[in-house]
Order: sequence, then structure tokens, then C-alpha cells
Amino acid sequence: MKHLAPANAKAKAFVEAQDEGRAEEVVAMNTLVGCTTSFDPGWEIDAFGALSNLCQPMEADLYGCADPCWWPAQVADTLNSYPDWGADAPNVIEDWRKLQSVFPDAKGRS
Amino acid sequence: MKIRPLSALLGVALALPALSRGEARDYIIAPSRPDKLVVVDTEAMAVDKVIRIKDAGPTPMVPVLSPDAKTVYAIVNRSESVVKIDLESGETLARVDFSTPERRVKALFGMDISPDGSTLAIFQTPVKLGTTHYEVEPTSIAFYDAETLELKREAPSPRQITLMMYSADGAKLYAIGRNLHIFDAQTGEMIEERPIQGWENDKRTPPDVLAVWSQYESSGVMSIPFYSFLLDKEPTDPEAGRTGLFTLDRETGESVMRDVEAMDVFYFSTAVNPAKTRAYGAYNVLQSFDLTTGKPIKRVALPRSYYSVNVSSDGKIVWLSGALSDVAAYDAETLERLGHVDLPEGASISLNSVRLFSRPD
Repeated sequence: MKHLAPANAKAKAFVEAQDEGRAEEVVAMNTLVGCTTSFDPGWEIDAFGALSNLCQPMEADLYGCADPCWWPAQVADTLNSYPDWGADAPNVIEDWRKLQSVFPDAKGRS
Repeated sequence: MKIRPLSALLGVALALPALSRGEARDYIIAPSRPDKLVVVDTEAMAVDKVIRIKDAGPTPMVPVLSPDAKTVYAIVNRSESVVKIDLESGETLARVDFSTPERRVKALFGMDISPDGSTLAIFQTPVKLGTTHYEVEPTSIAFYDAETLELKREAPSPRQITLMMYSADGAKLYAIGRNLHIFDAQTGEMIEERPIQGWENDKRTPPDVLAVWSQYESSGVMSIPFYSFLLDKEPTDPEAGRTGLFTLDRETGESVMRDVEAMDVFYFSTAVNPAKTRAYGAYNVLQSFDLTTGKPIKRVALPRSYYSVNVSSDGKIVWLSGALSDVAAYDAETLERLGHVDLPEGASISLNSVRLFSRPD
């Protein structure tokens, strides 16, 4: 962790827990809470620093990344928060323009 | 595409013998968004049946065939439910929703049915949904009565399990996670663990395993690609990055981690032929491997990315699928493309498991 600095409250709590020997209280989320299933690099460039090992065409990979919540920052999370993101676009090659950005509801809004 | 029987596509030399009545033929079942299980007749090279599942979205993910191939089970509904479907009528016979308003339970990739068809094993990850916070709960393997979908028992399990496979005799349940975990299928007790991420840690970085496609039915061998770097080479050395193949034989229980080539491309998944002599890896290329020597044989470029790969019951055809919306046939020896079948509406298969099964004609 010496090369990483906590960027938000949860990360800070994690670092504090580790410093205090309570790190075992932190449980791997494993697709449950934040959809952090994967820390893989590879959305923008592949592991070789190139493009040929990305999905081809890139539209082919949109649902493969959304449905298991694999890349929840790059595509909407259809596993938990936005299950209808692709409801009008089953044929992603034809319908990809229907896939829009998503925004969480403001807290406290019903 | 113009639909032609596969025997015509294969030509005279590889022509499949005409099927007589009662002879088994291969079918492929592919889940596609948002609610479909598509059955493809591999001899006719045509869609045989489209089953729609109520409240299945955004997509059915993992289908599992009963041993008699009359029933299909599928994980649906944001991976929070399992359904039992009559494959002939398409009727949903039973359904279990894992989650409640207070507890969300996901079952992403790991599901298999016992060889006697009596029990469905499903890896589940629950989280308690509090008013102000979520609380992750221990993972488990749930055993359901395959006839009624009633929960028979649950067994604690390690986290991060993806694929599961019963041994051929039904006595053991294999689960792929950070290691290979082996459970007593009756008691649910973990009885053995073999290294995957811990394999050869003195020589290489922990293998990075991609194991989310169940596709071991024609060979009875689960095969998974993995990637690591040798510690005694500079990271910039083209030979430092290595591709490996993990195989697990459900008949013998033997598992092997083997280094097969320098890592210059990725395979999303691999499958083994029924003779257990060849493995095939797919993604942006299709690659064949000789499992007797552990060496690569041949590689061809693919017109697009395919996530999943299956091998026909006779070992002659490699079926690629996943990501977009077709299943494509390749000659298992020459890796020549033989044809493909488009699924209805162009609906994406996403990263769903595509299964191959045989049944009498």
C-alpha cells in the first residue's frame, strides 16, 4: 500500500484498519456491493500496451463487461443498478447508439 | 447466411455420416439478451428452437442441461434466480428467487448438475442490505433438488469461486477459485485444495486465471487459460510472459497446470476435444494445442472476438460463440471456418456460457 494514497473515506478507513491490524475485517466484495469484480487493466489498451488484444469490434464487449459488472466505471452496471441499460438494444452492433451514460439519483431523492 | 447442412459445408472428405433415426446429434444452447435460450441444430446449421424466459433480464447467463438433455436450468434475473425449463415445450417448470428485500444473493458463473440428475449445485454470494449500510455475508454452495428446486442443504465455501463441475461419479464437486477446491458432493465438506494462484510461486508470478465459461461437456475436461510472468526474466523479455493451460478431468480427477507458450495473445476461454488430445483457445484468434506434448499447433485469426469455444462430440468441429450473436463452426484440424448460424434478432450472447449437448435425433 506504500505507493497508494486513499482517495475517499472508505479507502481511508481501509488504510487505518490496516495500520491498526484490523485489515482482516475487510472482506473481498466479490461482485456484491460495488461490483468491483476486476482490477484488470485492459479497457482502453490491452496488457501489451496495444489494441489488438482488445475486443473486436469494441461493441462486442459492451455487454460482456456490463452484465457481470466487470467494468462498472466504463459501462453501466446491468447486474445491480441499471438492469435496463441495454433493454432497447439487444443487437449491440445495430443499436449501440441507444446505450447512454447513466447518472445515479441524488441521495435523498425518492 | 444461406442455411446449408454442415455436412455440405464440410465437403466430401469430412462429411458427417447421415444420421439414422435414433442416432444422437449435437445441439448448442446459447443464452442471448434479454431473455432467450437459443437451441442450434449443428447438423442442419439452423436455429432449432427459441425459448423465452419470463423476468430473465438483462440476460440468462449459465445454462445447464440435465443428463437426459430434456431439461435445461438457467441462471436468470440479474443472476439472482434459477429456472428449470422443459427443453421440448420451453415451459418454465420451476423457479427459485435467491434474494429477498433484506438480502441480495447472486449466482454468477458456478452451477452444475450431478451426473444422476438429482442435484443442482450453485455457488452463491449473499449481501445483507441494511438501511444505511451493506454487509457482505459468507459465500456458500447451495444444493437444490433438481426435480423441485427445493433447497436441500448449503455448505460454506471460499470466496471468489467461478466455475463448478461434478466428478463423473458424482462423489466430488470441483470449484475453481483462487485455487482448485474439491468438495465432498454429499456433505459439502471441502476435502482437498490444489494450487492455481499458488502454482510455481518460486518461479513465476501468481497465475492470472480467467474462468467464467462452463464448456466441458463433450470431453468431460474443464480447461482454463492462465497467464503469468517468469521471475528470472526481465519483464520486457518476450519470453517472460507465459500462457498456461489448466485442465481438470472429471473422470479421473487429474488436474494439470502446464506452461504452453509465450504470452503474445490472449485466449478468453479454452475447451478440450473428446479424445483429450487437443485443446482449443479462442478470443481474437483460434489456437489449437497438443495436450500430449503441451505445445501449440496452429493459430488462425478470427473475424471478430469470440469468448467461448466448444468441441463437437466427434471432435471434428470447433464451435465458437459469445460476445455478439452467432455460433461459428471451424474445422478442428485445419481451423478453417466452415460456416456460422446467426441467432434471432442479432441479440448479444454477452459472456454467457454456451453449452453443447447431444440427444437422439
